[in-house]
Amino acid sequence: MKRRVRIAGLGASLPGFRLLRRGSVARAVEAGRRCLADAGRRPAEVGLLIHAGVTRDYHVCEPANAAYIQRRLGINVEFQGARTLSFDLGNGGCGMLDAAHVLCALLQEGTLRAGMITASEGNADWQARGERPCPDSGAAVLLELSPRPGTGFGSFVFLTRSEHAGMAETVVSLAEARGRLLVRRAPGLEDRWLEMAGSVVAEVLEREGLSRGQVDRVIPAQISAGFLARLPGAIGLPAERVADFSGDMPDTLSTSIFLALHRERTLRPPLPGQTFLLLAFGSGLTVAAATYRF
Amino acid sequence: MSDVQKIRIESLGAYLPEQVLTMEELLASCRRRPPWDLEHITGIRERRVAMGEYAVDLAVQAARRALALSRYQAADLDVVICASISKHNRENEFHLEPATAARVARAIGAGRARVFDVVNACAGMLTGIFVLQGLIRAGEVRCGMVVSGEHNLPVTRTAARELRHRFDGQMAALTLGDGGAAVILDASPDPAAGFHHLDLVTGARHDHYCYSRPSRRGPGGILVTKAHGLQRKGNEHFPAYLKETLDRSGWTLDDLDHIIPHQVSVRAIENSARAVERYLGCPLPAITRISADVYANTSTTSHFLALHRFILDGTIKAGDNLLLVSGASGIVISHATYTFDDLPDRYRGRWVPGGRP
Repeated sequence: MKRRVRIAGLGASLPGFRLLRRGSVARAVEAGRRCLADAGRRPAEVGLLIHAGVTRDYHVCEPANAAYIQRRLGINVEFQGARTLSFDLGNGGCGMLDAAHVLCALLQEGTLRAGMITASEGNADWQARGERPCPDSGAAVLLELSPRPGTGFGSFVFLTRSEHAGMAETVVSLAEARGRLLVRRAPGLEDRWLEMAGSVVAEVLEREGLSRGQVDRVIPAQISAGFLARLPGAIGLPAERVADFSGDMPDTLSTSIFLALHRERTLRPPLPGQTFLLLAFGSGLTVAAATYRF
Repeated sequence: MSDVQKIRIESLGAYLPEQVLTMEELLASCRRRPPWDLEHITGIRERRVAMGEYAVDLAVQAARRALALSRYQAADLDVVICASISKHNRENEFHLEPATAARVARAIGAGRARVFDVVNACAGMLTGIFVLQGLIRAGEVRCGMVVSGEHNLPVTRTAARELRHRFDGQMAALTLGDGGAAVILDASPDPAAGFHHLDLVTGARHDHYCYSRPSRRGPGGILVTKAHGLQRKGNEHFPAYLKETLDRSGWTLDDLDHIIPHQVSVRAIENSARAVERYLGCPLPAITRISADVYANTSTTSHFLALHRFILDGTIKAGDNLLLVSGASGIVISHATYTFDDLPDRYRGRWVPGGRP
């Protein structure tokens, strides 16, 4: 039986105006530092860094944003001693769960001992005339093999309906100097996600051998108040078990799900033995779910 | 050698656009023609360029060719990972989301595949293979595809328009070419064939040597490279990792049949080979395979377009041992040792004589 992977640290750079530390890399670095402090780990212990944000400072597409974040976090930056690989993983709002699944697999097959996932968003338009997909924010988690059997991430399920890929796009227009961020969201996007959510939740619970009654808390990406009001009906779970922070927490795209988990942990620290269901919604269109047992 | 489950390249697909652009034609199109003889300096004579096709189209073409050779159907694929850097998927647009892999999966009919993109500069496809290897070994997926399409022509065109002086940082953009590549991976049934060791490391202190972003002076994207610094720093460090990869595979230079470097340019590859010789204190056998002369630097796809070329001309055969070497902006240094099964024979067997590569 595979050893499970646990969240050893969680860090957040919450949405809100900043005079300093603005931008995608700065937000990821802030979240990463808090994550390392939360885990009580040194940067040198991170063997893999995956960055799952969508937007990039100055719209840079090379090198990987993860390399900039690795350098600023001081994670094995030289070609000597302990080594770290860093790269970006992109899948819109589901990127962090994708990265968590990849990192779980690499930890379980023994490639490394600890890895970090960061995500961050920041509007990189030179002048603030472009559309903003979401407010600036950052999130980071440090994963490692769980010392206690049965705790940590369980199953992951990803469902993509690529026939709807055109419903959610974020592109950089290169028609003008410095580029311009264009965000395209089609009407009915939330309806499509809700249609997909039911089967994703059913599959992940079946794989994990759980009934709906055994899910203590659902942590969804905070898409919108209206979306979160309809979500319990779509997934067949009572509304009081679905974390809804949409009153003061806007959708922050790739970071949303772990910012919501961070908020939940702050307000109601999870008890040992509790099972959470993480739910992400992204372009593609993809809906992702994972179970986590504390 | 370890007893860990080996992952093999079950199928390979390569796509090169029809249109050829010679270095002379490219230099003639520059608003201010560089004073250097770039063909002599780089060894790049020509490259393929995609006209009316975008990065995702090149990836889809390569993916279809890989499927045509594979025993798997598109519907069998558990995951599709796209590693393109140049996500110029429409005119004057660079795509951040959705994942380009979603569009590739849609086009090839991989309806049940999980999709995401991996971006790690020119080491992207090897990084995608590293990720997929982990997913297969952990039992999360059975087989999957790593695919990339590089449409570098827009960046090359910006350089041709904006080059201002002989030491302009955009000069390296004149060494780029277009192409697509795809590999289908699964667990190797033959313990002797597949990836023996795959090593990637990022030295992030050196992340400033090469970057790509929108131009500040006008439309289009740019690639800025401090080529000498990048190569000097890479050559300082990569031979030690190369030696380590060989050691971990239980190989010596004598075990290698081919060295497939990232195809930056012919001269850069020759310089790197000399750096390895200095480190090892012995000459390298004449097994370094270079395709940069005719395909130029096709970023993430370059190793696999080189495989395509040297399998087709009979240089690479079934059972051959390979060392893949890559240096990418970040700086990412990656090495892989690999033993082919019968893929080279199958690849040649499927090839239609007279067909365009």
